[in-house]
Amino acid sequence: LLLQSTMICIDNSEWMRNGDYSPSRFQAQADAVNLICGAKTQSNPENTVGVMTMAGKGVRVLVTPTSDLGKILACMHGLEVGAEANLAAAIQVAQLALKHRQNKRQQQRIIVFIGSPVTYDKKVLETIGKKLKKNNVALDVVDFGETDDEKPEKLEALIAAVNSSDSSHIVHVPPGDHALSDVLISTPIFTGEEGGSGFAASAAAAAATGATGYDFGVDPNVDPELALALRLSMEEERARQEAIAKKAAEDNKDQASSSTDAIMAEAELTLNAPADVDADLLKDDDDAQLLQQALAMSMDEGASGAAAVADAAMAEAAADDQDLALALQMSVQDAEAAGQSDMSKVFEDRSFVTSILNSLPGVDPNDPSVKDLLASLHGQGEDLVLMVTGKQNYLQNSINK
Amino acid sequence: GQVDLVDFIDWTGVECLNQDPAHGIANALKQGYREDEGLHLASDSDEQLLIYIPFMQVIKLHSALFKGPEEEGPKTVKLFSNREHMGFSNVNDFPPSDSVDLSSSHLLESKPVTLKYVKFQNVRRYVHLSLAGG
Repeated sequence: LLLQSTMICIDNSEWMRNGDYSPSRFQAQADAVNLICGAKTQSNPENTVGVMTMAGKGVRVLVTPTSDLGKILACMHGLEVGAEANLAAAIQVAQLALKHRQNKRQQQRIIVFIGSPVTYDKKVLETIGKKLKKNNVALDVVDFGETDDEKPEKLEALIAAVNSSDSSHIVHVPPGDHALSDVLISTPIFTGEEGGSGFAASAAAAAATGATGYDFGVDPNVDPELALALRLSMEEERARQEAIAKKAAEDNKDQASSSTDAIMAEAELTLNAPADVDADLLKDDDDAQLLQQALAMSMDEGASGAAAVADAAMAEAAADDQDLALALQMSVQDAEAAGQSDMSKVFEDRSFVTSILNSLPGVDPNDPSVKDLLASLHGQGEDLVLMVTGKQNYLQNSINK
Repeated sequence: GQVDLVDFIDWTGVECLNQDPAHGIANALKQGYREDEGLHLASDSDEQLLIYIPFMQVIKLHSALFKGPEEEGPKTVKLFSNREHMGFSNVNDFPPSDSVDLSSSHLLESKPVTLKYVKFQNVRRYVHLSLAGG
């Protein structure tokens, strides 16, 4: 997982009032920024993201790099639009903010949204780019909004100066039907160099179909904890199934293969369950329903889990000894049937029963009815159990009166 | 007696600014790499290199050895003991703990440079700025 510290520079200049990106350039930009923040913090929980403005009240840092997504998104509220963007100063300030990051292992990155015209010379931008490269900072540029002959060329020159082994990118987004965020999702700005995180890939797929779907039908921005919890439990489940399958695979007995089949079938069931949850969540936000789904899942899982563990344990033990295997199998089969008969064996032990009865409050072993009971012990099985419990209840009742 | 401090370097924190990605800091510091004549550390955009080396414990720095070609090797090296958050922009704001001008004999004959020992008694991390000649 790539460890990154990112500073996002927002263009909140007067040029952002234009509506050629719906609903407005500024809003489209804000959506894209929110999406990027989410993607970065999700792809690695140790990633940090900071946000700053290039215009409005001036070049200022709204939030220094942090991994707290809520804090990052909160600072986007109530931003004013106005004045002119100062690109050079903004990049310098961003660099400074990154230099003072706590975790030195994080790779430094600046993402600049530039929707207003670029007033600086190409030469100046190249110098800035070189300085960034020298300080090991990567740069992503989103060129949107105002466009003239020179702007793309200048920005390309900037990226060329910074770029070192394809770590820096530039994306030009012309106005049109597509939302700024949708266009960006499929670019390396989102997907990064390694070619995609799960989040970005699924979001890209969803965007392609026109829906705003996420991995688990839950918007990570709205409820990041739930999304994270669902994702973690999916991964845990996968890891567990892999471990069990691996254990079973180490065996070459027929027994192992049959139990593996059983496990695989159960694994499929439990893995499909999240998909059902996903569909239901999209329709209905009701907490009670969600709880029900979770309970159903865990119950299914409980039964299959117990069986799977038992099978796996059996398979391993059986590997050593055929006789043992046979015995184990028999005992498993008998276990269900033998529930009651075990009990009856216990009650055959007279002294044991006597001690139990003694421990019951108000029972006198010399009481004739108790003596009759003890005499009729041998071989009575289930009936005896009921009788004893009945007696206990009777005794309890008499005490309570 | 003196020991080679390579074992005390905290590799997770080693940083080298302005290094050429193909010729990185490991080539100069790591055992195995640094002996290899074919591997070297080179700068990228310009002739300055800023190397940040944290140690796993406090050490006393006695001397440093610089090896390189006469023409392209470092000419001036400034060392800063226990400085954080150094960048090319602020490195010249502080006086160096020591400053070394390397001659060709240092570079070619691998003569270690004795440093001002008193200034390096308590080194937890050290920053090294090297400047090549014209």
